Amino acid sequence: MKSSRQVIKISGESGQGVNSIGEVVAKGLKRCGFYSFGYREYPSLIKGGHAFHQIDFSDHPVSAPSRASNVLLCFSRVSFHAYLPTLTVGGQVIHMLDELEITEVEQKFIAEHKIKIYYLEAENIAREIGGRAIMANVVMVGALWKLLGLPIAPIENVVRQQFADKKDLVEANVACLNRGWKSDLGNLSPLTILFEKNNKREDDALLSGNHMLALGSVAAGVRAYFAYPMTPSSSILTYMADVYHETGILVKQLDDEISVAQFAIGANFAGTRALIATSGGGFDLMTETISLAGMTETPFVCILAQRPGPATGLPTWTAAGDLNLAIYAGHGELPRCVVAISDADSAYTLIQKAFNISEVYQIPTIVLTEKQIAESLFQVENLPADIPIERGLVTGASLDKLEAADRYKLTENGISPRWLPGESDATFVANSDEHLADGTLTEDPLLSEQMYAKRLRKLDTLHDALPEPVIIGPKDASVTMVSWGSVKNTICDVMDAWNELHPKDNFNLLLYEYIYPVKLKVLTGLIDKGQPLSLVENNATGQLGGLLSQHSGFQFEEKLLKYDGRPFFVDDIWEYLERRLTK
Amino acid sequence: MHSCNCGDRGHSHFSDFFSENIYTWCTNCGNYGIHAAVKRALVDLEIKPCQTLLAFDIGCHGNGSDKIGGYRFHGLHGRVIPFACGASTANSKVKIIAFGGDGGTLGEGINHLVLGIRGNYDITFVLHNNLNYGLTLGQPSATTKQGVAMNAAPDGVTSEPIHPMKFIFSLGPTFAARTFSGDVGHMAQTFKAAIEHPGFSFVEVLQSCPTYNLMTPHEWYQERIKDVSQIKGHDAGDISQANSIALDIEKEIAVGVLYQNKKSIPFNLRQANRVNKKTALVDEVKNLSVEKLFDSFR
Repeated sequence: MKSSRQVIKISGESGQGVNSIGEVVAKGLKRCGFYSFGYREYPSLIKGGHAFHQIDFSDHPVSAPSRASNVLLCFSRVSFHAYLPTLTVGGQVIHMLDELEITEVEQKFIAEHKIKIYYLEAENIAREIGGRAIMANVVMVGALWKLLGLPIAPIENVVRQQFADKKDLVEANVACLNRGWKSDLGNLSPLTILFEKNNKREDDALLSGNHMLALGSVAAGVRAYFAYPMTPSSSILTYMADVYHETGILVKQLDDEISVAQFAIGANFAGTRALIATSGGGFDLMTETISLAGMTETPFVCILAQRPGPATGLPTWTAAGDLNLAIYAGHGELPRCVVAISDADSAYTLIQKAFNISEVYQIPTIVLTEKQIAESLFQVENLPADIPIERGLVTGASLDKLEAADRYKLTENGISPRWLPGESDATFVANSDEHLADGTLTEDPLLSEQMYAKRLRKLDTLHDALPEPVIIGPKDASVTMVSWGSVKNTICDVMDAWNELHPKDNFNLLLYEYIYPVKLKVLTGLIDKGQPLSLVENNATGQLGGLLSQHSGFQFEEKLLKYDGRPFFVDDIWEYLERRLTK
Repeated sequence: MHSCNCGDRGHSHFSDFFSENIYTWCTNCGNYGIHAAVKRALVDLEIKPCQTLLAFDIGCHGNGSDKIGGYRFHGLHGRVIPFACGASTANSKVKIIAFGGDGGTLGEGINHLVLGIRGNYDITFVLHNNLNYGLTLGQPSATTKQGVAMNAAPDGVTSEPIHPMKFIFSLGPTFAARTFSGDVGHMAQTFKAAIEHPGFSFVEVLQSCPTYNLMTPHEWYQERIKDVSQIKGHDAGDISQANSIALDIEKEIAVGVLYQNKKSIPFNLRQANRVNKKTALVDEVKNLSVEKLFDSFR
């Protein structure tokens, strides 16, 4: 498995362009016929500290990071010291740090791990050829390309494209790239890439999970985006604003998350589709509005982009610890839907489904993502199919026959007719107080109970309509992992290689994307036949496991939980399988 | 097409806004007059119930949300302004009037008032300022006068009250008016001007509360109010003049349209990417191809 991918870590201070270089490298690899996945680690500050953009690449799709890298590209001293220990045995370093001091401990690590280090005078070269020190980054990319043994033309085209709007800089950057490519690399050994190039990858797109959520929402007819910045949701706001001339969507940053949630419910009540996104702390402030959406039966879709809490937690790191928050947020008992995306494709599809569910069932829908999906760079061949819009609105001649008391009419499936202000003479009140069918306030015990039960019936109706979780991998396996969110990508990245090596100790995955109301048929089928199950979650308490136990009575004995702010690396899953299956 | 002509203004009648639900307010509550004046303003402007969205905060006034016609939303305490502003971004054809008390507006949701005025969202906002939290049985609000003994402040309120207009004028409003719950005609005129104004129209109603505000009852206001038309040389286009006549809330209280910026550009017309759109957000919900956007990532 190790030989089926190579890992490059591009590291420097925040503000040194680590991510831009990461994207350039990923584009270059794609043009050379590879698949790549870009994983980012960075601190919560603007300048300084240390950050990296790690690229795992292969001849087959990759969507999760490795723990260690084969190559380390260093733009700053701090990043050299921070990431040297993350190299594999035989790892190689290219740095641009004049008179780099290496500690004794580091010397020992270098010797033991047979690490090779090359110093490239990238800044001097950049000043000499390009006139600017910042072009050292491109010199370094040239040297990296030499180390990878890849042809210069594809990466040169990427650089030309990258600087297309700064014509005066194009030739200087290309010259820097070529100069880097001509470095002798000292005692470094060109990488042996054991896997084949697939030459059809050139037209693939490279984009983040947040980009795909934004694109999916535009496809779903979202016409307003309201937000208050909070990592890791902020890049949705940035992207929505960057393309708002193309989409015509109203994009507005507001003063706090309470306003954001209320603007959304106001715009949705008026009859458009408004999207909002935040992280856990912002979502906390929105929870009263979740309750209001449940009571007034107003559609409401919120993206909850998770990072580790509690409180400010680890602002720029990853976790999947807010499932319980999504399921239980808001006072009172109300019907809702909770879905969790797992990768770029499901981001695009599920956000569209979320709007249909929210409108047809007139309930809040929470779409969970994680920093690991939100900000990683996925390689995607094509957009998944669009989902036709379903609004569940009364339209046309039927609007004439409406009466105010139709709005919250008691129905068997819990769903009552919904229409928009300005569409019918039948006006009603959407009331946050308990109410009768036309919205009139009531405190009558029987009538209150009837309306309460009507709303909750929607949960049963929705439950019946939602798909069961899917099994990914072989139908029969020694172990089934049960998981949700970005963990899926790590598990899938490991699956084929592991199962090929260990056909008798193979595994598959039961993936929950539609999480609440909870679907149990497939799971209980596995439980009933005594299938060994392993719960894998990026949190400390196993929140999906808790939910499934609560509803099925089954207790997960085997759990792999991780809550250090890092995603599951492929090594984590591989080592777990070794412990669990081959001991 | 369906027969409701919600799209066109036309003759409507006071009774169109009638509700069979029985009012639950105290006798002589200022809210009765406010409801009557809202209906009169809408009828005078030929706005039908189906062309309105009346948004209510939580409080005594909010308990009237099911006792008047029109599309209505009775939301959460302190949140009526962002709700109404959000609705106004989506559909500018329905007239949006939002109502809030001094508790929800100047306490719980005061940040939203700032947001609403600065953004100049196209809504009318009516502040029911009765100087206390009525529905929770008479606790002090941000406008209760210092020293007054209230529920939860038995020895008197220790803070200086907020002066609503001083606060409003500090935010650069495009419309600021004051009126009195004891004068239905004056309120109706003021509401009409507010509804017709493009942008955020702030209207403070000096509201009597016969149960909990014994310091400044109906008569107290009646003796002190003075319409701006009676104030010599008042120019409603001059914000500094408006600011200065608004200051006195003890002896001679100026009421009427204190300030109006006739060149007000509401929020929706300030959006660079939407300014030439003929449709509203509510008309635009359809599947949109994002292939081109996706291609830019290739």
